[in-house]
Amino acid sequence: MNFHETFFILLAAIIMIFSVLVVTTDKILRAATYLLFVLLATAGLYYWLQYEFMAAVQVALYAGGIVVLIVFSVLLTHQIHHKLVSITLTRKLLAFGIAGLGALVSIVTIVNYDFNTAPAEAMKVDVRQIGLHLVNTGHNGFALPFEVVSILLLAALIGAITIAKKEESNSDNI
Amino acid sequence: MLYTISIKYFLILSTLMFFSGVAGFIIRKNLITILMSVELMLNAVNINFLVFNRYLYPDQLQGHFFSLFIVAIAAAEASVAIALIINIYRRFNTIMVNKVDEMKY
Amino acid sequence: MYDFSQLTQAIHLFLVQHLNSSSVAIVELVLVGLLFLTMYAILGLTLVYMERKVCAFIQNRLGPNRVGPLGLLQTVADLIKLLFKELLMVKKADKFLFNLAPFIVVIASMMTIGALPFAKGFQAIDLNIGLFYIISITSLGVLGILLAGWSSNSKYSLLGALRSGAQIISYELSVSLSLLSIIMFTGSMQLSVIVESQANGWWIFKGHIPVFISFLIFLIASTAETNRGPFDIAEAESELTAGFHTEYSGIKFAFFFLAEYMNMFLSAALAATVFLGGWMPFHVSGFEGLNQVMDFIPPIVWFFGKTFTLIYVIMLFKWTFPRLRVDQLLTLEWKYLLPINLVNTIVIAFVVVMGWYF
Repeated sequence: MNFHETFFILLAAIIMIFSVLVVTTDKILRAATYLLFVLLATAGLYYWLQYEFMAAVQVALYAGGIVVLIVFSVLLTHQIHHKLVSITLTRKLLAFGIAGLGALVSIVTIVNYDFNTAPAEAMKVDVRQIGLHLVNTGHNGFALPFEVVSILLLAALIGAITIAKKEESNSDNI
Repeated sequence: MLYTISIKYFLILSTLMFFSGVAGFIIRKNLITILMSVELMLNAVNINFLVFNRYLYPDQLQGHFFSLFIVAIAAAEASVAIALIINIYRRFNTIMVNKVDEMKY
Repeated sequence: MYDFSQLTQAIHLFLVQHLNSSSVAIVELVLVGLLFLTMYAILGLTLVYMERKVCAFIQNRLGPNRVGPLGLLQTVADLIKLLFKELLMVKKADKFLFNLAPFIVVIASMMTIGALPFAKGFQAIDLNIGLFYIISITSLGVLGILLAGWSSNSKYSLLGALRSGAQIISYELSVSLSLLSIIMFTGSMQLSVIVESQANGWWIFKGHIPVFISFLIFLIASTAETNRGPFDIAEAESELTAGFHTEYSGIKFAFFFLAEYMNMFLSAALAATVFLGGWMPFHVSGFEGLNQVMDFIPPIVWFFGKTFTLIYVIMLFKWTFPRLRVDQLLTLEWKYLLPINLVNTIVIAFVVVMGWYF
């Protein structure tokens, strides 16, 4: 077992343990923290796969963006003594039964399927390459989805502001 | 050196992550924790895209860009969801899904 | 002339001859880790000392002058005191998160130092997304602050954490957008490439007015991002006692303190690297004699000279301007810095396309 493999096993262990903890812990901010660990370990996995740009995007957007938003909303809506309501045993069994069944089916399929990993030589993924692909309108270009995503982000921005904005209080209308 | 670890380990890993997200989605009653479970599922899908790209088609970048767009969409989704959660909290003073069941208040 | 990569190469070859490949990787990791940890600690102590001296200079005092010559050992004495202090634990605090928070803050600031090019070849890791890596890691630090504020079960901490969260999330945008201007000029995010591209002049001179505007915005926004005065509403002493780290004591408090100073060092070093040429000496294309003379000064002196000048400027900000209110702070970002920055980005794209830079 060399250094490279040890690193993968470490990351995989972190992801597995903490993704189970995210859904079983009874303190909400701890769940958010465990989610942070899962996302960071995933970023490490991307780095391991030599997608450095994706790893940085993962850290910046997921860990630095979404988790911060989640923690922020926890700060606004919960006090420290709040505990998540305990779940009935049947519901727990049901949930883990369904999830376990699904996982079992998927894993059996994965193990039995013969993946055709006859690799061509790996493509170097540098920033210039990514940028050229994103604005390319020809073959292997992603200009249209790029524009659509930017419109979506703008819409989400405006929508979020409109939803979360405090409504005019009634006293002003009188 | 990359291919010493089989693609199957990655896929099993992301499967476990996805289904713990599913379990969380069923168990939880708090809107924020449900959102967290959704993020777990999205993240598992992301791992799959990148792994398929790296192992099966390393000379192309389709999977890479797909997961890039998923991350962008997840960011948009989370921001809108949290705006909704904060608005719900302001009206109902709770964010438990089983207590937010009135269309009119 | 002064090339660290020869030294690192020699060490690497020496290790390869004597050990197998896995051990080489581990030994190199440990060496680099020790080097950067030492540097981190020494820089932190220096910055605290410098802050006190600058503060004293502005307020017409002498500053620390009892322990050691010129008070140089004062910060070391303080560190020893902090190490021996009792670690208080708040009742009903969330112990796990309470203990975790300072480490997140310190690790986030520590991880960024590795990507900075201190001199030619003196860089822990030269990622091809170096600048983006630094931006993404600095966005993690705020999580530590939020967790610290929530888990210490105190109103002051919670208010400080909320303020700090709103502030850092907003100002991150300006920091990234102003760095984007240089990425557009160089077409690369690799920090070593960015430094090499300034061999015939620093970007602040080559890119003239638009780059100068983004430099100013970067300086303001990164001061705000590091929670330093005049933007230190997150720990405003007069309103919130100490904000998010009110409940911390001893070495955990020192972690927050250290991380704040190292973040300041990081933003100054980043500004020096990206806008002022990093370790690149002052060159004017055409004046060969001047360039030769400048080359004699070692790059590491150039780097730290520029960085500490910028740190001095940031410290002057703190001791000169009064603290902003929360609404003023957010107004400054969303109504002034961000629109200016967006317009500036478009102008720079135009300048780059037309080739109107030196």
